[in-house]
Amino acid sequence: MTTDAHKLTVVTGAENDPSARMRKRIVSVLAHTALISASILMLYPLLWLLAASFKPDNQIFNTGIWPTADWDIDAYFRGWNAMRVSFGVFFMNSFVIAILSIVGNLIACSMAAYAFARLEFKFKNFWFAMMMMTLMLPGQVTIIPQYVLFRDLGWINTILPLVVPKFLAVDAFFIFLMVQFFRGIPRELDEAAMMDGAGPWRIYWKIMLPLSVPVLVTAAIFTFIWTWDDFFGPLIFLNRMQDYTVTLGLRTFVDSTGESDFGGLFAMSVLSIVPIFVFFLIFQRFLIEGIATTGMKR
Amino acid sequence: MAVNAAEAAPQNAAFSTTKWSRAWQNHAPGYLFLLPWLIGFIGLTVGPMITSLYLSFTDFDLLTPAQWIGTANYERMFTNDRNFAAAMRVTFTFVLFSVPLKLAFALAIAMLLNRGMKGLPLYRALFYLPSLLGASVAIAILWRQIFAGDGLVNQFLSIFGIVGPSWISNPNYSLWTLIILSIWQFGSPMIIFLAGLRQIPQDMYEAASLDGAGKWRQFWKITLPLLTPVVFFNAIIQTINAFQSFTPAFIISNGTGSPINSTLFYALYLYNEAFSFFRMGYASALAWFLLFLIACFTAFSFLTSKYWVHYDD
Repeated sequence: MTTDAHKLTVVTGAENDPSARMRKRIVSVLAHTALISASILMLYPLLWLLAASFKPDNQIFNTGIWPTADWDIDAYFRGWNAMRVSFGVFFMNSFVIAILSIVGNLIACSMAAYAFARLEFKFKNFWFAMMMMTLMLPGQVTIIPQYVLFRDLGWINTILPLVVPKFLAVDAFFIFLMVQFFRGIPRELDEAAMMDGAGPWRIYWKIMLPLSVPVLVTAAIFTFIWTWDDFFGPLIFLNRMQDYTVTLGLRTFVDSTGESDFGGLFAMSVLSIVPIFVFFLIFQRFLIEGIATTGMKR
Repeated sequence: MAVNAAEAAPQNAAFSTTKWSRAWQNHAPGYLFLLPWLIGFIGLTVGPMITSLYLSFTDFDLLTPAQWIGTANYERMFTNDRNFAAAMRVTFTFVLFSVPLKLAFALAIAMLLNRGMKGLPLYRALFYLPSLLGASVAIAILWRQIFAGDGLVNQFLSIFGIVGPSWISNPNYSLWTLIILSIWQFGSPMIIFLAGLRQIPQDMYEAASLDGAGKWRQFWKITLPLLTPVVFFNAIIQTINAFQSFTPAFIISNGTGSPINSTLFYALYLYNEAFSFFRMGYASALAWFLLFLIACFTAFSFLTSKYWVHYDD
């Protein structure tokens, strides 16, 4: 009580004192200046990339980011068809892989998360500990035998090595994310459904999943972004150009014509990050909350 | 005896079926829901781990059966492989500089934003954007141009009359361009710091300022100690990721780790041994040593955490 009274006098005192108010305002202006300059510094490279993709090649490196008279979208057409296989095919491949990965992750990870969050079974704690350990396991330890396995199955140069593991819930991060969310759903709901004779499948399907839309959306967005950006997996498993993802297409572009056609290369680079940027604009809140609650990787 | 057994048998059977059916009812749903993960865990994680441990003691080129060669791969790593030494040097330099600097930036900006600033959601989104895009090939391509001889950085320096080197192709600087790329992506630890800062009760600061503690003292005595669990978490995640960094170095050096091995990240070296030269046995040994390094780092962090991580209980 006494401390409350103290606080009150201190706060009102500060507000009535004009010099303190002035100081507060100066600090706030300084902080905003620092933040605005930092964001410009950070975003300048991205703006530069965007601007460069609209410029004729001879102007890319000696003008700033401001539009010039001869801006056009030529580079986008040049880049799109710069190689034997068009970028349209690469985009299609990337989309197919990303969408199947989302489906796989949502089904398999939510099933495992439901088991960990709600069901009782033998060795549950052991399996949960194992699942958490795989979060820290570097992928290099398993990739070589996985490659041999997929080769023996005849899956090289197909999308199967990139998609099937998702249906087996290898992305433990999403299991963890969903377990955290499921634990927050009131148990009374399951118990009431169980009284009405619902089994675990019905509870999972009719109660847990409909109530978990936010976490499912977060998992879907992150799956999309990570598979869209994935370079290592496609690099290892896809060798024919018609199977390439956008990331592999870009890399080949750099190696072959990139040094002579910067405009085309930058235009395709911009296009390759457009889907991520759009997801970011629409689902920004989900992404930031997903990171804040679990401490996601990126 | 025979009669006894015959009499006892049906009873036992009845007893065990109920026991089994009860066990089935209790545990089966859990295991059924867990089944996809279990198959993946055994088939794609545990199985491959055991196989790769075995392969690390063999000579294996993917075409002919693996030949057992004992510890020769590990001996070669430490006694007779300059590229391995280079990869270790590059990777440790990268981890040692990129992780602390990235976390320092993340914390500094998070504290600025946590002052109840107007426009917080906009700033937060702008600072987070590079984290989201940073791992993509497009950004690595952009970085190559920014730090090229006639790139953005040197254009900026030329305003002040400084003629900068070609940062990417100079072995003294090439690794630093990648460290800067990593720091540029401080957005996701920043968001975790922001969430942590919001957990610190405001009245602690009020009490401290009543006692005459300045901002600087408040930071060292309140903010930082209460934030250590978040610092600990961020440091572990970022370090494990930094040890495995691959794509930017691959794109910037055309997959070679050039110039003069200055960007030969551990993961890049491992990839080349496995999938360019098909020395799968040696690459497996490299992978297990990487796991060993990460495990040592994690164990060390957890063991020392009780001396510097503050848990309130």
